Amino acid sequence: MKRNLQSFLIYLFGFLLLWEWLRPVEQLTTTDHIEMFILFILLSFGVSFLRVRWIWRLILKIWFILYSVNSFHYDLGFFQTSWLLSFLQDISANFSVILAQDWTGINNELRTLLFFILLWLMVYLIQYWLINRNRIFVFFFMTLIYITVLDTFTLYSANTAIVRTVAVGFAVMGMLTYYRILVKEEVGANSSVTRRWMRPLVIMIAFSVIVGFAAPKFQPIWPDPVPYIKAAGDKGGDDKIGTGVSKVGYGTDDSQLGGPFIGDNSVVFRSEAEQKNYWKVETKDHYTGKGWIPSGSTSFRIDGDELIPVNSIPSTVETRDESSRLYLFMDYDHLIYPAGIQRAQFEREYSLEVDSIKEKVSIFGFNNKPIAPDAYTVEFKIPKYEAAELRETSAANPGQMDAEFIARYTQLPENLPERIKELAESITADETNWFDKAKAIERHFGGSEFRYDQKDVAVPGENDDYVDQFLFDTKSGYCDNFSTSMAVMLRTLGIPARWVKGYTGGDFQEYSDGDSSKSVYEITNNNAHSWVEVYFPNQGWVPFEPTKGFTNDVSINFANPDGTPAAAETTAAPAPKPQQNVRDESGTSPESDNSFSFNLFWLSVKIFFSNNWKMIFILSVIVISAAGLIFRLRGKWIPRLYLLQFRLRKKDENMGKAYLVLLEQLERYGLKRKEGQTLRNYAAYIDTFYASKEMSVLTDRYERYLYHQKLPEGTWKDSRELWENLIKKTIA
Amino acid sequence: MAREQMNPIIEKILLNIEKVMIGKRNVAELSLIALLAEGHVLLEDVPGVGKTMMVRALAKSVNANFRRIQFTPDLLPSDVTGISIYNPKEMEFQFRPGPLMGNIILADEINRTSPKTQSALLEGMEEASVTIDGITHRLQKPFFVMATQNPIEYEGTYPLPEAQLDRFLLKMKMGYPEVDEEIEVLNRAQKVPPIEELFPVIDLEGLLALQKEIKEVYVDDTIKRYIVDIVNMTRRYPGVYLGASPRGSIALMKAAQAYAFMYGRDYVLPDDIQYLAPFVLSHRIILKSEAKFEGTSAEEIVNRVIARIPVPVQRLVK
Repeated sequence: MKRNLQSFLIYLFGFLLLWEWLRPVEQLTTTDHIEMFILFILLSFGVSFLRVRWIWRLILKIWFILYSVNSFHYDLGFFQTSWLLSFLQDISANFSVILAQDWTGINNELRTLLFFILLWLMVYLIQYWLINRNRIFVFFFMTLIYITVLDTFTLYSANTAIVRTVAVGFAVMGMLTYYRILVKEEVGANSSVTRRWMRPLVIMIAFSVIVGFAAPKFQPIWPDPVPYIKAAGDKGGDDKIGTGVSKVGYGTDDSQLGGPFIGDNSVVFRSEAEQKNYWKVETKDHYTGKGWIPSGSTSFRIDGDELIPVNSIPSTVETRDESSRLYLFMDYDHLIYPAGIQRAQFEREYSLEVDSIKEKVSIFGFNNKPIAPDAYTVEFKIPKYEAAELRETSAANPGQMDAEFIARYTQLPENLPERIKELAESITADETNWFDKAKAIERHFGGSEFRYDQKDVAVPGENDDYVDQFLFDTKSGYCDNFSTSMAVMLRTLGIPARWVKGYTGGDFQEYSDGDSSKSVYEITNNNAHSWVEVYFPNQGWVPFEPTKGFTNDVSINFANPDGTPAAAETTAAPAPKPQQNVRDESGTSPESDNSFSFNLFWLSVKIFFSNNWKMIFILSVIVISAAGLIFRLRGKWIPRLYLLQFRLRKKDENMGKAYLVLLEQLERYGLKRKEGQTLRNYAAYIDTFYASKEMSVLTDRYERYLYHQKLPEGTWKDSRELWENLIKKTIA
Repeated sequence: MAREQMNPIIEKILLNIEKVMIGKRNVAELSLIALLAEGHVLLEDVPGVGKTMMVRALAKSVNANFRRIQFTPDLLPSDVTGISIYNPKEMEFQFRPGPLMGNIILADEINRTSPKTQSALLEGMEEASVTIDGITHRLQKPFFVMATQNPIEYEGTYPLPEAQLDRFLLKMKMGYPEVDEEIEVLNRAQKVPPIEELFPVIDLEGLLALQKEIKEVYVDDTIKRYIVDIVNMTRRYPGVYLGASPRGSIALMKAAQAYAFMYGRDYVLPDDIQYLAPFVLSHRIILKSEAKFEGTSAEEIVNRVIARIPVPVQRLVK
C-alpha cells in the first residue's frame, strides 16, 4: 500500500480502535502508566506507517519496552546495567510461579513485559488485517462487544466510547471495502472514483452518528436482564457486588447506605395468607452517620417449634391470631417473619439461632449447619393498636424502660449535624406525645419536596451525614433514606426508634387453592424494604412507614375523644397511592385531558409489554425460529410444491419454467452454477455429481428451447420425468 | 462434448487431415472453421511445426487450388496479385494472375514483407477481389488465406498493423506436438510423405454448398446479446487500450455458426461462443502498455471477460 493520506487514515483508525481497548483498563484495573502503553502502540503503528526498516523497528520497540520497565519498576538509571540483571532475576523468579500455575503470584515486572508483548502482537495483527487482508470486521465487532460488556457489568461508562468506536469502525470498514472492490474489479484508483466513494461514506457515518447521538432514547421497556445474569453468578444475593451500583434485594451490610440500585424482580418467596403484611428479617440499632450496624451480637439457640422471642407486641395490645405459609424461592437460611411472630413450623426438626440484638433468626439443620428450607409456616399475631393508648407516652419514663435500653435506641453519632434536631423539633413543635410526634415526622416525608428515586441517589461523601444529606440537600432517595432519616430524627427527640429491614407485602398472585380465605402473594427482590419501629412502653414496637409511596397496613383505632366508637381504621403514611412495583412508576402521570392521546397509548403499549414480556419474548422466539426453520428447510418443501404444480401441466412450453425452477433448486441444494458457466458445462457437472445422464439430456432439450426457439413436440412428458427425478434427488 | 454427433463430411475432412498431421486436431478444426465461415487464419508460430503441411492437407481434402507465397522483404505487390504483361504477338496487355488467384493460399511469414505488399494481400482478403491497372479481378471462390508469422524474430520485420489483424477471423498458435506424437512424426517421415496419398473428400462445389448452409445456422437473440456483451466488455475492460470492433462481433458469430455446424447442430450455443472467443477476439484487442508490462495477455483478458459475463439461461423478455 502506498504511503498516502488514505493509508495514514487506516493506520490512525487502527490505532484508535486499539486505544479503545486500553481506556477501560486504566479505570477498572490498578494498571498505572497507561499512557506509556498507549504511546507504545502509537509508536508501533507509527514506525510501520513510516516503513522503518524492520531491524530499526525491532531495536526501537525493545528499547521502548526496556525503558518503560526500567522507569516503572527500577529506580536505577537506564544506563546503569545493574537494573537489567535484577530485571532478569525478577523474570526468572517467575518461572516457578508459572509452573505452579499461581497466576496471581506473577510479579509486576513480568506482567508489564507480557502486556507490552501482547500489545506488540495486537498491533501486528491489526496491521495484518488492515493492510494485507483489507478486513477489520472481526476486530471491530470484538471491540464493540468488549466495550458493551464492560459498560453493562462494570462501572465503565461507554457512552462516548461506543460513539467513537462506531464512527471509527465504520469509517475504516468503508475504506477497506473500497480497496477490496478496487482490487477485485481491477480498477485503478483515481481521485474522482475515490471521492465518489468517500463522500457518501463520510456523510453516512456523520449522519448516523449525529442521529444516534441526538435522537431521544427511550427507557428500556423490558426489565434489565443483567441482574438475572448476575444472580446466576452469585445465587442468594447476600453478597454485594463490588461496584458502586447495588442490586435491589436483601443484603446484610448496611454500614454504607446510598447510591443507586438496579431493579430485580426475581422472586424471593410466596406467602399464603389472609392479608398482606410486612415481613421482617432483622433490625439495626446503631447509626454511624453513613449507615446502620448492629451494636453487638448475643445469640442463643432454641428449638424449631419453640416460641420465638422476637415478639415486639406486648400482651397489653389487642391482637388476633393468624398464620401464613411461605414458599421460598431463594436459599436464605434466615427466617422471614411478620412483626407479631409466635412460632415457625418446619417440615423437619430444625433449630433456630436468635440474635437478640438484630432480632435475626437463623435456621439450622440436624448437623448444626445453616439450612435454607423450601417452605415453612409462621404463626403470628396481628396487633390492633389503640391510638389513645399510644398517645399516653410523652416522655421516657425510667420506670418503664431502663436507661441502657433508652441509650441504645436513641444512640446518635457525635458529629450529627445540629440542624437535623432543629428540623425535628420544628416539625413536632405542636405535638406533645410520642405518637403524634412520630406521625408528624412521618407526614413530613409525604411533602412534595421529597421524591422517591432509585437511580439518582447520592452516596454521602467523607464529611457528609447520610441523613443530613437527604433531608437538606438531595431530598430524593428510596426506603433507606426515608426510614433512616425518620429513625434519626426521632432519636434526636429522645424517642427510641430502630431501623427494620425486610420485605413489603408483595403482589397479589392468585387465590389460594386450599383455603378460600387466603391469597397467594409474591414477594420479589423489588419488594425489599426498610422502615421504622418506634418503642412505646405500653404498646411495644410500633411500625411506621415514612417512605413516600409505601403503605404498611397497621391497624390503629383512633377512638374519638368523646368516646364514640370509631371504626378501626387502617392508617398509614399519607401516601398518594401504593406503588410497590418500581417499573410502574415510569411516567404514570397522565398529564393530558384528552381521553385518548398518543402518550397514553404508548404507555399502555409499554405496560402491556412490560407485563407480558416473557410471553412475548417466548412467542417471538418461537415465531422467529419457526420462520428460520421454514426458511432453512425451503430446499425441501418448495420443490414439492413445484412437483405438484408441474404434474398438472400438459404443454411442452412448461419446459422453460420447469428448467429454471430446477436451476434454482440445485443452487439451494448447494450445487451453484457460476455466472459464466454454460448450461451444458453445468449439466455435465451435475451429472458427475449424481452419476447420471438426466441433467445433460434435459439440458439438451432446454438448449433447443432457449437457443433455437424450437422444442420437439410431445417431449414434455418425457422431460417432466427427467425433471422430477432430478428434483427428487435434491430433496432426498 | 463427446455426445455431439459431428457433421459426417467435416469429420471425414478432419480424418483426412489427421492422416498427415499428428495430433493438432483443434488447429485443424479451427482452420476448417475459418474456411467454412469464409474467413482467414493467422497462425503464429515458429517454423517447422507443420503449418504448411496442415494447410496443404486441408487444400487437398477439399480439392482446392493451393498456392503458397513466401514473403520476403523484396516481394512486390504484383508478385502477389499478378501483373499485366504486354504481349507483342497479340499487341495487347495480358493479365498474368499471381499466386493470390488460388483457392487456398499459404502466406508464409507475412511480417517479412513491406507494408505495401502486405496490404495488397489484405485487400484481397477483405474484398475478395484485386484491382490491377484499373481492372478489378474477382478472386476465386472459395478463397482462404492462412498467413503465418514468426513471433521470435523481430529483426527486419514489418509487424502487421492492428487494423489489418482485424481482417483475420481467427488467430491461433500451433504449438509443439506431444512426445508420442513427435515419435509418430518421425516414423512417418521414414516413409513416403503421406500428403501425396491424400484424396479429396469433397470438391469445391461441395465446399461452397457447405458455406451456404452454415449461414443458415440459427443464432438466437439471446446468443447475439451474449456475443455483444462479451465484445462490449472487452472495450471497457481495465488495461485494454482498444477493444474488439463490431467486425469482431460478426466474426465471433460467423465462427460460432461454423463451429455449431461442424458439431451437427443448426443452432449456436453459448459453449460455442466461449470456445471460440479467445481465438476470434484476442488479436483484435490492444492492451495498454501497463497491462503488457504486468504480463497480462489479450487471451487472458478474453478469458476473464468470458468468466464474468453471465451466460443467458432464460429467454429474453419481450
